[in-house]
Amino acid sequence: MSVSSVAVAVLIGIGVVIELACCIGVLVMDDAYDKLHYLGPAAIVGPLFIAAAVVVAEALSQAGIKALLTAVLLIVASPVLSHATARALYIRQRDHIELDPRSQS
Amino acid sequence: MNVWLIAATVLLAGLIPCGVVMLRGSIVEALVGLQMAGIVQTIVLLLLAEGFHRPPFFDLAVVLALLTLAAGLVFARMLERWV
Repeated sequence: MSVSSVAVAVLIGIGVVIELACCIGVLVMDDAYDKLHYLGPAAIVGPLFIAAAVVVAEALSQAGIKALLTAVLLIVASPVLSHATARALYIRQRDHIELDPRSQS
Repeated sequence: MNVWLIAATVLLAGLIPCGVVMLRGSIVEALVGLQMAGIVQTIVLLLLAEGFHRPPFFDLAVVLALLTLAAGLVFARMLERWV
């Protein structure tokens, strides 16, 4: 067993454990705001480890570049989605969103 | 069966908690579960593409990552306004 295959297995293992832990976190947390916190590591840390594993296995070939691209897309999309979801929940709970007081003066 | 396919199979178990949240939680919690399921499915597609040694399959993961973003934004906007 080569060093690279051990590194790949370790990286994949860490990535999968992070994803599963975040899935369990989404399940056990009480409300949607708490659940939203678990989307962050699932979309940022996990894909980075998996993409790193692909790059270690394939170098910067077509597969490695596409894996990195997928990880970057998830990393960019995650904060946008979390913000949009939290904003939707906030508006649903209060029926409106308060304007910034600085903009009214 | 290599380590990639084993990891993909194990990771598929992560869809079960997402499904439970979608079925039993409020509508916004269901949206969070849907987004989590999209992330998990994207990574499963990455692992399957590498496990089967089919580089074109990576395109599926790229497209799913983009569609997860678009679908999440559309659902969030809809929940904010109409549902």
